[in-house]
Amino acid sequence: MVIENILAAFNELASIQTFALMALGTVAGLIAGAIPGFTIAMAIVLTLPFTFGMEPVQGLATMIGVFVGGLSGGLMSGILIGIPGTPSSVATTFDGFPMARKGDPGLALGLGVWSSFFGGIISAVFLVTIAPQLASVGLEFQPWDYFALIMFALTIAASLAGEDLIKGLLAAGIGLLVACIGEDSVNGVARFNFGSDALKQGFSFLPVLIGLFAFSQLLSDIEDQVRAKKALTETGSVNARVEHRRAAIMVLKSWGNLVRSSCIGVFTGVLPAAGSSISNILAYDQAKKASKEPEKFGTGHPDGIIAPEAANNATAGGALITMMALGIPGDIVTAVMLGALLIHDVIPSPSFINEAPVLAYGIFIAFFIANFMMLVLQSGALRLFVLVTKVRMYFLASIILAYCGIGIFALNNVAFDMWTLFWFGIVGYVMRKLGFPLAPMILGVVLGQIAELWLSRAVAITTDISPFFTHPWSLFFIIMASFSLFFPAYQSHRGRKKWTIFFTPFLIASLAGPMFMMQGTVRPVVGALLLAFAAFSLFKLHRRGWKVNPEDAEAHRLSEG
Amino acid sequence: MGSLNRDTIIAIFMMIFWSIFLWASFDIRIVEYGTMEADVWPRGVLIILYILTAIYLVQSLRAGPDAEPEEPFTVAGWLRKYRNPLWCFVLYLGFLLTLDFFGMLFGGMLLVFMLLTVLGNNTPKDIATHAATAVISIGGMWSIFTFGLNVILPPSSFFEYF
Repeated sequence: MVIENILAAFNELASIQTFALMALGTVAGLIAGAIPGFTIAMAIVLTLPFTFGMEPVQGLATMIGVFVGGLSGGLMSGILIGIPGTPSSVATTFDGFPMARKGDPGLALGLGVWSSFFGGIISAVFLVTIAPQLASVGLEFQPWDYFALIMFALTIAASLAGEDLIKGLLAAGIGLLVACIGEDSVNGVARFNFGSDALKQGFSFLPVLIGLFAFSQLLSDIEDQVRAKKALTETGSVNARVEHRRAAIMVLKSWGNLVRSSCIGVFTGVLPAAGSSISNILAYDQAKKASKEPEKFGTGHPDGIIAPEAANNATAGGALITMMALGIPGDIVTAVMLGALLIHDVIPSPSFINEAPVLAYGIFIAFFIANFMMLVLQSGALRLFVLVTKVRMYFLASIILAYCGIGIFALNNVAFDMWTLFWFGIVGYVMRKLGFPLAPMILGVVLGQIAELWLSRAVAITTDISPFFTHPWSLFFIIMASFSLFFPAYQSHRGRKKWTIFFTPFLIASLAGPMFMMQGTVRPVVGALLLAFAAFSLFKLHRRGWKVNPEDAEAHRLSEG
Repeated sequence: MGSLNRDTIIAIFMMIFWSIFLWASFDIRIVEYGTMEADVWPRGVLIILYILTAIYLVQSLRAGPDAEPEEPFTVAGWLRKYRNPLWCFVLYLGFLLTLDFFGMLFGGMLLVFMLLTVLGNNTPKDIATHAATAVISIGGMWSIFTFGLNVILPPSSFFEYF
């Protein structure tokens, strides 16, 4: 069955046109990812209008090309000019730029490219093997479980998105409120239209997303009048040739670091809202801790490039796992992909892989192929990157602002969508300036109607709220959501305050509870293992005299630095 | 007012904003379909927003007034600081308001040309480059959408006068 699906999906993808579009997407992603200020999400958003006329699998394959290319593109500017192209490549700059300045930019680029490739392939394996399993778990979910999962996605998005948890939660709440505007999905009743006919239909999700994210990002990029007139190349030299052979051997020799970092990337990607901007720093921190020569990190150590690049590409596979198996977008990029699927009348849910296996396996295969394309096209993209960096920022911003309008109009052929883009562009810009993170708000907009739908189904079964605590998966997500609310405090006090040493053991022990409540043998056994692990962690802490480890503060310091 | 910080003012504005929405929630039509009523979820969201805003307000009041800015606030200074984003908003608004008149092709070209000219340099050579960039970029996009993707973009009524 799986083989049949893979063959059918490959048959769908195997056309010169699709491969050409994927290659184009990968190059576009590599270039967009390489330009500081132009994030991967923006590249995906700008690709979206071109995919409307394509077959779903073709459109998604193109977007996956952009996604994978974008994750790898950030390393070019990070290594060559010391400015990470995307937040996913922040940690790559720590060792990539010093190595390039020491006269080895080709090796630094090669290490980045090959670790990105292997990280992507490892996560593709995880994607193919885990997504169908997770989807079968998702099929057990009942309305209470789904609602709790969405609440967890929103709380963790709020806690990971910025320094201020309250602002993150407020942003998520505003997103939910925006999703309420227009006809409700349960009864078809108009809400908050304030007498406007245009508002009766509510806001289309993509104009809101593009306005909030891309429009406001462009305005932030050109805010500084001097910088807006400057080209990137004025800040450094970008001449180099990728050293493939030497780099590939070095990456393979450092296989332990590669696999560990890829696993960190996949795990981070699976968590809703925890994207590659977090995974690259976590992987760098772990690589440094595990290294025999940690003092050399920051001076051009190869492991300091391998870890973040393997992790950020692996995050893509993790984010796709959650989107495809549960229909919950892991980050802004997968939120746009979810929007793209909805445009093609495909609704991702646990039954998605079973109901649309060709499309699902098409996405898996496209992810594999995109990683190979990225490897092949990176050298060519480097030359294009050199050309693009000669363009001044205000040129790019002006053209893209106009393009946003055209692309959005093409969505539904409705001018109101362009107004939506404009107003939400202002909202996004103001929120950025006031320190409100946008990711929770975007997830709120995407998940608002779904949350209401599941709550409505739960209420239709019973008005009693106890099933939220008696259903194991619902309880599992409520516990995760509760702990995620304390995560920002844990992060900032880690390595300094005593209570932080108990955070992880207590989280693990708490999660054992719902596992014991689940049917079968495997899950209660997993619960017992979790409990044993928590007890062991506490025992180790007891033997250490309940002392905090100052090194634990390192990851937080890195992410802030 | 001088003792209030920026977050306090935002929190107060938010409270007013939620109140408008709460008031509007009473206009939501109630239907008896045996499902969760249409006003339940939005009111639930609004209650959460009220609680969070109240916490935000208390936090901001505890934080005390903002530090004195290096330069005193003036409208001219503020306009100067946010010149580029403000130009973008104004020109984009103009583009939307005149969309029926200029259409997507010419309106888009005008938007890009004007954005480039106000954000960038104004030498004759730059202006010529801006004009060429606007024509090529928007013309190219318009062609892709019109001929490649078969999207009918808003036409111009401006040329109907001639």
